[in-house]
Amino acid sequence: MSSAPIAGPAVPEARWRTRDIVVTAVIGVAFGVVFWAWGLAWSPIEAALGPARFLFYAVWLVPAVLAPLIVRRPGAALFAEMLAAAVSTLIGSQWGPDTLLSGFVQGAAAELVFAFTLYRAWSFPVLALAAIASAAAAWVHDWVLYFPQIDPAAIILFGVLMAISAVAIVAGGSLFLVRALRQAGVLEGFPGGAP
Amino acid sequence: MIAVPTRADRVATSPLGRANPLATLAIAIAWLVALATTTDVRPPLLVTAVAIAAALALGRVPPADLARGLAPLWLAALSVGFFNAVLSPANADPTATVVLAFGPLRLTEPALAAGIALGLRVVAIVAVGVAWSRITDPTHLTDALVQQGRLADRFAYGALAALQAIPWLAEDLVALREARRMRGLRSTWHPRVLVGLLVLAIRRGDRLAVAMDARGFTAAGRTRYRIVRWATLDTVVVLAGLAVLAGIVALR
Amino acid sequence: MGLAAEGRAGPVAVVARDVAVAYAGRAEPAVAGVSFDLAPGACLLIVGPSGSGKSTLARAVAGLVPWSVPGRLGGLLQVDGIPVGGPDPGALVARVGVVFQDPSSQLVMERVEDDVAFGLEGRRWSRPAMGGRVPAALAEAGLPGFGRRRTARLSGGEQQRLALAGAFAPRPGLLVLDEPTANLDPPGAAAFGARLAAIRDARSATIVLVEHRAEIAWPLADLVLALGADGRPLALGTPDVLLTRHRRALADAGVWLPDEPFPPLPADGGDGDGSPGGAPRLVEARRVGFAYARGLPVLVDVDATVAAGERVALLGPNGSGKSTLARLLVGLLRPTAGSVRLAGRDPARVAARDLARLAGYVVQDPERGFLADTVEGEVLAGLTPAERASAGDVAAALGLPLDGFGARNPYLLSGGEQRRLSLVSQLVRRPRLLVLDEPTFGQDRRTYAGLLALLREQLEGGAALVAATHDLRFAGDVAGRTIRLAGGRIAEGAP
Repeated sequence: MSSAPIAGPAVPEARWRTRDIVVTAVIGVAFGVVFWAWGLAWSPIEAALGPARFLFYAVWLVPAVLAPLIVRRPGAALFAEMLAAAVSTLIGSQWGPDTLLSGFVQGAAAELVFAFTLYRAWSFPVLALAAIASAAAAWVHDWVLYFPQIDPAAIILFGVLMAISAVAIVAGGSLFLVRALRQAGVLEGFPGGAP
Repeated sequence: MIAVPTRADRVATSPLGRANPLATLAIAIAWLVALATTTDVRPPLLVTAVAIAAALALGRVPPADLARGLAPLWLAALSVGFFNAVLSPANADPTATVVLAFGPLRLTEPALAAGIALGLRVVAIVAVGVAWSRITDPTHLTDALVQQGRLADRFAYGALAALQAIPWLAEDLVALREARRMRGLRSTWHPRVLVGLLVLAIRRGDRLAVAMDARGFTAAGRTRYRIVRWATLDTVVVLAGLAVLAGIVALR
Repeated sequence: MGLAAEGRAGPVAVVARDVAVAYAGRAEPAVAGVSFDLAPGACLLIVGPSGSGKSTLARAVAGLVPWSVPGRLGGLLQVDGIPVGGPDPGALVARVGVVFQDPSSQLVMERVEDDVAFGLEGRRWSRPAMGGRVPAALAEAGLPGFGRRRTARLSGGEQQRLALAGAFAPRPGLLVLDEPTANLDPPGAAAFGARLAAIRDARSATIVLVEHRAEIAWPLADLVLALGADGRPLALGTPDVLLTRHRRALADAGVWLPDEPFPPLPADGGDGDGSPGGAPRLVEARRVGFAYARGLPVLVDVDATVAAGERVALLGPNGSGKSTLARLLVGLLRPTAGSVRLAGRDPARVAARDLARLAGYVVQDPERGFLADTVEGEVLAGLTPAERASAGDVAAALGLPLDGFGARNPYLLSGGEQRRLSLVSQLVRRPRLLVLDEPTFGQDRRTYAGLLALLREQLEGGAALVAATHDLRFAGDVAGRTIRLAGGRIAEGAP
């Protein structure tokens, strides 16, 4: 996990090519599939964890940070996260519109962080901040909709745990994945593919 | 070749299947938001009943299909109910009636009531979720998003095309995990599996993008093979949805 | 120049002068020095060994380089007088239809008719015109009445015919096909070839075809361009000229040629009666049935045995259950009926560590089996210290010496190197059974010969081989016995 700044191009390329659109979408879809497959095996444990289920959940937030890190264009976080949500809605679809709502707020939160940096800063602190923002959106969503009666102290505790796991799994994981993908040669032609 | 109406076609031609997916989505989300504002048990029961009845009667969703979608619901509802009840601050309130005491754990009446209400809320959310997913055709939704929701069509149809890759990515995932077993590795989940899947996914995305470009995807002024127009049916569906919404509010 | 009006124009001419194409980020061109004149309505066949740049050239001719596929184009390349790489890629898209190799990566929509219409929408056809053209294009592609079907449920052959319908629906002047039958079984390939032949006979479009299957491709060609392994042209001429004057050179370069007989297939036999001199049974499958949850049965009442050291080919078209049976034999799936025994044990219950030493399983696509980010990591994964010592020898024997290749990333290897790496990673443990799933798809002549040699050498040690394949040539070359499947059951009788 490198903490050296990863600079983007001086003027970010705003126009999305077909390849950018489809690859971003497919990354979201891949995570949706992983989340579904993993959920098949682990959903009893996930249910048993209750509000701490976020420890499993974190993988689902990765597209919101990984996709922008690769294509470096406005909207990537939201788009990729919505695709992951769409997959969850289509297969194993018990949450339906709520999944889409979750995906939307989580993607939008990360998107706001990247927008704030004008899509030019891609260092670990920025990724960590986006991950925390996304996790915070998930935290608020879960709290309001599913766990409103829980002692606020417990909620805060869970929130802190979510933030920590977001930084480790989402931000750290995204950097690990980008490096592995770059070494495998699949990121040629993407801004995130240049070392 | 005789075109036999498939199950999916029966749903697609049903009243709810023909309704504008943006309308049904908006209603579903409105119900979810309204449910979040109450801890009375009646609104979630109302929503659950309406969702299931509508899916079966107006959506022609096969009951077995619906039941299968609802199956995981009980675990989630129990989990949410349990945690809300057990971790409620009302349990610390000395004036509340104790329902159950087990070691350091104190479960009071208001906490139990809250747990039940929230468990029912999960039931309602899942019922709406399964019903909506079963009546909604992804292509129809995408068309509505573009034609009525004014979503950029390259993103919408790019997304729809990426969704077609689901079965193959699922196979890729299985193959990657099987490969670990065949190499003597006991754990079939590992970050490298994710890397492998993403490599295959991105390669597939590249091929898909070139194929789409070759078919004129980026040209301006694409025409439309399928048209989505707002119909009376959609107004009826929205009004019915608002009526249920009023019911939720009234029952709080 | 805009997009074409609804289906007129007719076939177009293609002119190439000293064309070179390089991918972005590579200094060397993948193909260079190509020149030809293709008359409207004619069919150009491009052949050559793997890595000769055939696909690259096809994409360039289709007008996809550089605007969709990043790269550089040198020389002159014109389609209907419009230069490729010029300022108006849209004009080319209007005139060209493309069919790619992988059927599933061309599926853009959920329903067949929407998928065909996709290309028409992009060329701005009016709705009434689309409504008429879609069913007609489907019928021409051999998929009449398929409009409302789901694309994901089509077989590979049907998906490719769908791709053909989609490419051909806008009545392009040029049709480019890049290894369209590579991922298809023989019946699917034949069906596709028949449709293509109909289009070619009608001379409704100029055709540029890259294709390995000689018996399908050569009869269609008016002009053949052979590329060498270095990406430069070896020969250009009519099929007759190439086959009479350049036959030897082409075969040596790795090109599959028509009229070459397959080796005879060995005898059929479901159980081990034909096995060499009473060798012990290694694999026994008794009355095996398999179905996915809530799905139709894939296998019904299958009996199969393999003796130690035997070589068996599992034959049958796609969908006959070969792959499923192969996975059942090594315990990757559990039978829903009947039993499977590998060396006397149920392979599905054997611990991974032991299973890996009993059996190896090589998948069709090597990239679906990579576990590590270096070749060395890949080879040594899961090995005991004792096995590590000899792993280097196995790798070297298969042409991937660790001191040269060890640090390289598996995904960056060439196709042939990836296949060999797949084999190495299974053979390092000297398993008693090696199962291969479609080992020869899309291979040129030289890599095929290399694979045969490797297998024969490595299996000297007495391991048994089971190959699930639809390649009858491979079955004839390698197997001592065949087991034939059809519709999930053992099929009796001759091919």
